[in-house]
Parts: sequence; C-alpha cells; structure tokens
Amino acid sequence: MKPQPLAIKIAENPFYVLGLPSTCTRQEVEREGQKWLSMLALSLKEAAFYVTPLGEQQRTPELVRQAMADLRDPQKRLVHELLATLPAQVIEVENTPLDAPRDRWASALSVLGLGPPRKPAGPR
Amino acid sequence: MTDRSLFLGIDLGTTNSAAAVFDGTQVHLVRTAQGTTLTPSVIRIDARGKMMVGAKARRMLDGDPDNTRGEFKRLMGTGKELEFPAAKLRLKPEALSAEVLKSLRADVEEQFGFAPARAVISVPALFELPQASATSEAARLAGFERVELIQEPIASALSAGWTTENAAGTWMVYDFGGGTFDASLLETRDGLLRVIGHDGDNFLGGRDFDQTLVDHVLREVSKAQGGSFLRADPALTAGLRKLKLAVEDAKIELTRATSTSVVVPNLTLGSEVVDVDVTLTSDDVNRLCLPLVDRSVAVCLRLLATHGLEPAQVSRMVLVGGPTVMPLLRSRLKEVLGVSFSDGLDPMTIVAQGAALYAASANLDARPAAKQEERGRRVWLQYPAMTSDLSPHVVGRLVEEEGAKPASISFVRDDGWKSAEAQLTPEGTFVLAVDVVPKKPNVFRLVGKGADGTAVALKPSQFTIVQGLTLSDPPLSRTIGVALANDIVRIYFERGAPLPTKRTFRHETVETIIKGQADSLLRIPIVQGEFETAHLCRLVGSLVIRGDQVKQTLPANTAVELTLELDRGGRLSARAMVMSTGQVFEEVAQLLVPDATPESLESGLQIIRNRLAGLRTAAFRHGLTRQIEKLGSVEQGLGEIEQDIAAARGGDSDAAQKAKRALVDIDAALEQLEAESKFPELEETAMNAVATASSLVTQFGNPQEQRLLDEAIAGVEKARKARQVLELQRRLRQVRQLATAAYYKDPEVWRYEFDRAASEVHQSRDLPKAEKLVTEGRAALDRDDMAALQRVTRSLWKLMPPDAQDRQLGFDSGVS
Repeated sequence: MKPQPLAIKIAENPFYVLGLPSTCTRQEVEREGQKWLSMLALSLKEAAFYVTPLGEQQRTPELVRQAMADLRDPQKRLVHELLATLPAQVIEVENTPLDAPRDRWASALSVLGLGPPRKPAGPR
Repeated sequence: MTDRSLFLGIDLGTTNSAAAVFDGTQVHLVRTAQGTTLTPSVIRIDARGKMMVGAKARRMLDGDPDNTRGEFKRLMGTGKELEFPAAKLRLKPEALSAEVLKSLRADVEEQFGFAPARAVISVPALFELPQASATSEAARLAGFERVELIQEPIASALSAGWTTENAAGTWMVYDFGGGTFDASLLETRDGLLRVIGHDGDNFLGGRDFDQTLVDHVLREVSKAQGGSFLRADPALTAGLRKLKLAVEDAKIELTRATSTSVVVPNLTLGSEVVDVDVTLTSDDVNRLCLPLVDRSVAVCLRLLATHGLEPAQVSRMVLVGGPTVMPLLRSRLKEVLGVSFSDGLDPMTIVAQGAALYAASANLDARPAAKQEERGRRVWLQYPAMTSDLSPHVVGRLVEEEGAKPASISFVRDDGWKSAEAQLTPEGTFVLAVDVVPKKPNVFRLVGKGADGTAVALKPSQFTIVQGLTLSDPPLSRTIGVALANDIVRIYFERGAPLPTKRTFRHETVETIIKGQADSLLRIPIVQGEFETAHLCRLVGSLVIRGDQVKQTLPANTAVELTLELDRGGRLSARAMVMSTGQVFEEVAQLLVPDATPESLESGLQIIRNRLAGLRTAAFRHGLTRQIEKLGSVEQGLGEIEQDIAAARGGDSDAAQKAKRALVDIDAALEQLEAESKFPELEETAMNAVATASSLVTQFGNPQEQRLLDEAIAGVEKARKARQVLELQRRLRQVRQLATAAYYKDPEVWRYEFDRAASEVHQSRDLPKAEKLVTEGRAALDRDDMAALQRVTRSLWKLMPPDAQDRQLGFDSGVS
C-alpha cells in the first residue's frame, strides 16, 4: 500500500468527514455515518461539505464509508485521533510531481553524487 | 401474499444450493418439492431438451453422466461452455446456475405464494470480478429484477451473530465449500459486526477430497487389474463420474465407521470393463486428505498472522459446508488452532440464512412491487433497514410534484410511540431520529401535516426498521487497479475498502489510436492482486476502445479519465471518457477469467522450473539453508500443477484454471524468494537511501519531515535486523518518498531534470515536438524562468516511450 500524503490524511480525517470529536463513541460513528450517507443519497445540501483545518472539503459517500470503516478499526482510529489533534499546519511531505519519471530517485542520488550516474534510459 | 416485507437469501453452492426467507423476526428455510432444504446444484438435459434440476438430476449423474452436469460454479466467469450431447446443447455455467436459481425461486413461490423479484446471493469471499459478474448474470437469467451479492463468510457470521446470544468477541468462519475454501475473521462488539479480514483458496474444496480419494481408488484398481487408469484420461470421464459417486458415499460412511468398501461392478473405464471393489479405511482417508486439511489450516494461520492475532484470541469458530462434518477436519482444527466450535448452527444452510438477514439490512424486499399504488404525496426516505442503533436517523425529501404539500412530518411506531415533528426545509427535506424496540421489526407510520394543521397523505405510508446487528460495509477482498504500460499497478481500490465505492483517475494514452481502424486499440487492463508489479497480479478484465469507435484520431498522451465503480457485492462497472472529445465509453470492461490452454500452462511451468533451478543453484552456492527449504516446498507444489495440467489435457477446465492460478501464485512466491536472496544488496541500498535522504531532508526539509524521516530510519533498522524483506522494502519506499519530496524543493531541481530529459530526447515518441521543447527549455534556462522550465520538462517526460518489455508484462496496457 502506498503511503498517503499527510495533507490528504488531514483533509480526509474521518472525524472531520463525520463531523465528530475524536472522543466520540463507536455508536456515534455508526449513527452519524448512517445519517450522512442518507443525507447524501437524497442530496441534502447540509451534507455536501465538511470543515477541516485545511478548509472546506466535499463530502462524498465513499469518504463517509471509508471514515466509518477506519474508525471501526481500533488501530486506524488511534492514528486518526492523533492526526485530528495536529495544529492546522500543512506538512508538505508529498510535493513530488506525480508525473515525474519513475527513476526520480536516481536523479536525487546523482545530485548528491551518491548514486549511480544518471542513466540515459526511459522512465524506468 | 403477505403485507410484511420478506427478505430472500440464496446460497448458490458448488455442490448444493439453499434458500431462506427472513420475515423481520424469524428466518425460514425454503423447502424443495421433496421436502428437503438443499437443492443439489446439478442439471440434466435429455434428448428432447427437457431439463431436470436438483435431486432428480443428481440421481442421473450415475445413469446418464454425459448429459448431467454439476460443479459448474467452479467455472463461473470463464466463458467455458458445457456440453449436453443428447440435446445438442452447449450452455455457459451462468446459464446452468440460472436454472438452479429458477428452481429455488419456484420453491419460494410454492411456500410463500409469490415469485421473488429481489434477493441476496452469496459468493465465496475470494471470488474475482468475472465470477461475481457471472453470478449476477445468472440471477438476471433466472428472472430476478435485482440482486445483491454477499460474501459467504459474512453471511455465515451474520447468521451466527443473529442466533447466538452474547456474541461479542473475535470469530473465525471456516467455510469449506464444495469448490472453494474461505477463512474469515470477524468481530462483534456493541452490536456491530465487522469483518477484520479474510483469506482463502479459490481452488480448494470438498471436491478435492473426492478427487484425491478417486485417484487412490484408481491406483488400487490399476494394481489389482494390471491396467493404468488415470483421471487425466478423457476416455475415462463417464466412468469416473460413477466412481466418484461411490467414493462420496464411502466417505460419508466413514464419518461413522472405520472401514468400508467402494464397490462398482462392471465399471467402464475407457475400453475396459472392471469390477471395482476397494477397501477404504478411515486411516486411508485421513492420510490422503490430511494435506488438503492442512492447506486450509495454513490459510487460517496466515490470516491470523496477517492481523497480528494468536489462535487463542479467537473466541469461537463457525464451521460452514459439508466437508466440515469430517472427523479428521475437526480434530485437526482443534489440534492446531485449539479453538472451540460454535454449536447449534446448520453448516449446510447457515449461509442462506445469513444472506436473508443481509437482504433485510439492504432493504431488499423480495416481494414484487404492489400493483395497487398507495395514494398521497411521494417522499423519498433513507434509513437503516437493519441496525443495532436504538435511535437511528431517518432522512427524507419530498418529491417535486403537484398536490398538497406537508409543512411537517412525524412518525408513529406501531405500538403508539411518536417521534418529534420535523418542519420541512424550503427544499422539502427533513432529518428525524426515531426510537426502535430491540430485536424486532419496528413499523413506523408517516404523519404529514399541512401549514394549517390538516392531514396530508404521504406515500410510502409506512416503513420498517429491524433492530439487531449493524453490518459494516463489506470489504473488498483483493486490491483492484489498472495495469500501466510500465508494468506498475495504479491502485483504484485497496483491499479492505468498504463497498460500494467509486474512483476516478486520469491516464494518458501511450500511443496513437487511429480513427476508423478496428485493430488500433487502446487497452486498459484491470487487475486484482496485492503486488505493485502488474504481471504478478491477475488480469480480470480489459477495457478496450477500438479505433473504429473513436470520433477522431487520438494522439499519444491523450488524456483519458477512467472511473471504476464497485457495488456492495463487488460487481465492477467502468466508464472511460476521452477528455479532448468528451466521448464516453460505458461498460466496456469485458470481465472474463483468462483462458488457460494446456500449452500455455506447460510453457508457464517450464519458465517457473528454470527460475527455480537458477535460484536453487544460487542458494546452494551461498549456503542459504532456509532458502533451499523454501524452494523445496515451492517445488512440491509443481507436482500438483503437473497433475492439473494433465487433467486439463483431459478436458478438465477447472483443473486448468487451478493450474493457472497456482502458476501466478508460485511466480509471486519466487519473486519474494529472489528478493530474499538479494537481502544483502537490499540492505546496502537501504543504507545508501538513508544517507541520501538524511542529506536531502537536512538541506531542504522542514522539522516535521525530519521527524518522519527519523521514524522511517528507525523502521529500516528494525526491519534490517529482523531480516524482513517486505517490511524493509516498505520502509525503503518511505525513506525515498521523503528524500524525493525534499529533492523537489531544491531550487535547482528543474535545471537537473531538464538536463536529463534533454539528454534522452532521441528516444522521444515525437522527435520534432521534443526538439522544439528542448529549444524552449534552453531559452527558459537563459532567462532563468524556472516555471517555464518545469512546464517544458514535464512535457518532455510525457513524450518518453514506455519500455516495450514492461508494457508486454503489463498486459499490453495502453495507458500511463
């Protein structure tokens, strides 16, 4: 599984998606999740967006389902609880261009003079 | 017909099928005309085209084996047609499954007075997309308007959770079907049933016990009669069916006795007629079947290990399927796993019962829509049809239409309890909480009032919420993604993703699709599996766009937006949009289990043998004892594949599929062993990566990135010391990600990247365009315009061709 950029993890934090505090009970997760899913199914405008430290995000049924699934798993919930308490500061971990060739690592190495010389090859 | 909702669940099994109906309070098993609860999944078609289904057909397996077919579930999704020579008919497995479903549907009609229109059908947890899709097709052919699929272990657990008091804890469902084996871990807490994970073997089932025993009997007959009878010989097919029935009977007999005889007088085996009289003891059965049982136990242990659990943490095990009555199987499970079994559950019908309960949670009323429509203002309602919550929400929206409009809505429960009164928003919506009575169906009547307090009729006039278990969304059993032209998988849905789900990604074509040319193809392969490398995953379908379908020629690098969507049962639909023309291609994914010819299997096996020999030589040379042991166990598996290929030559399509899957699995296992043999190199790479990352992050990273890197480095050290290849690879990726992120913060980065891209321009797919870009880039460099340089460099990247070998491995994918 590829690690998710932290900014996305914060923007899609299940507690924000469900509009619940990180101290909420399991039953509240089920109740709120079910409510948001029902509201989204009927296109209620009150359900369309949720608030995060990174600004308003669009709420989708997929995000709500994923949020419910993550908060049902005690280990995943713990991680999300930690992230939900982070200050509203974006950590720019993933500023790598997504369209970069696969061997950008080789470029990084060669810049430092640590890796093999740059290969005149394709995107591998 | 009853005025209460009825929910139908169907277990469409390899050997037997069953149906159950849930009325909101109780689950009722559906009985056949013969009064039994099981319908053998067997079809016979005679010379006049008359079809027999179930027990009657099963009896003909002996007398008319050529025109009687069973176990077709194992071929679902393969496109393989089965022959009925007397009627000169060839039918696909889904058409045969449809006949079994029709029979069950008729039994429901007989018992409950209506032909069901909707149902939930169970499928093995590890069914792949084409197999699930074929099951839905079978239901459609059987006349169902709508079906949802449920994974068998979830159905079993739901049934067990519903019937067992004080069900909290971790469960394992051990489901040994006729053709597949599934093990699932589930947890029940606070009324929520959650699937922790599952594992299984799509080609291990009760049938394998029978085949092992048939092989044994054939060996004994060969010894006694001096011939050489092999299951792979196509001339023996008819005789083998008879023999198999006798072996099945003997196996059942041995659950009560210690010895019995397999007796089949005058059995025609090819050109010879033999009298079979072979003594079979329970010791024989135990010895022969133990490896198969142990395969299932290994799956259970692997599943527990994956989730960091010990067998002792499993509070109970639910046994499902006919083979679980075998004393050997039960004693082995107790011996190795030490678990206690859940009592009082019928292993043969538990899946159908769970499917019926699931139908309630999905609000899938089996009754056909009432002809007499209710009167009143229409309201769309959304509510959990089954929930553990005692105060669930009900959400509604008035349908825009003429007629009296309520200003407020409330609900009255059948015992008189009243909800609050919700004022409708200007858009006509409302959200209300209701109280439900535990463990029963709660019927609520809708009460609408106009602004002046007058009653306004609403439709539906009532709805039902069953209080019981909340079932978490079913998780996806295997990761699904798209194979890219560089043999990498673009993951759309991770294993465990809650269903239903939908995702859209943008891809780019890697070559020109010429308008009007049917052989100019854009192929987007869809794969299932847990590997980042596409060729190690299983190809389950392809989305193909032909040149004669496109409005205009699409040059390389054309953006294509692909949306994959999975419903609750794991059925896939796909939609591709060409961004430049707006042309949309719907439902173009052809889901089919890839064909497995004996020739392609032979050549695959030879490649594996060569790799194995190379690895063994290297392991001996470096004295890697553990590696040699592991290679030995891989080699043992090859013997079984050989047998399956031989059976495939004899016309056994199921064995061909089994061999194909086993080859893919062994390929992945060898990849892992190769990685292990290169552990010293991996260690060195990791240490270099750590040094590089430290330098880059120190220069360009922020404090948070530095902290994350420290954590990742600690992980590298731990994995290195424990010699965990996969974990070290994972940690290495993290370190590299942090380092490359820092690298791209270097103010000079686009100079380096442009230099490199410009040096490779001769490989470009469009040389004039690439050369023009290089000129532009040099100009940008001269004026120190980094934004322009970045844009130019990215455009140059897009013109680089994928590696031909990678593309071939990536199932000839046409997208990046």
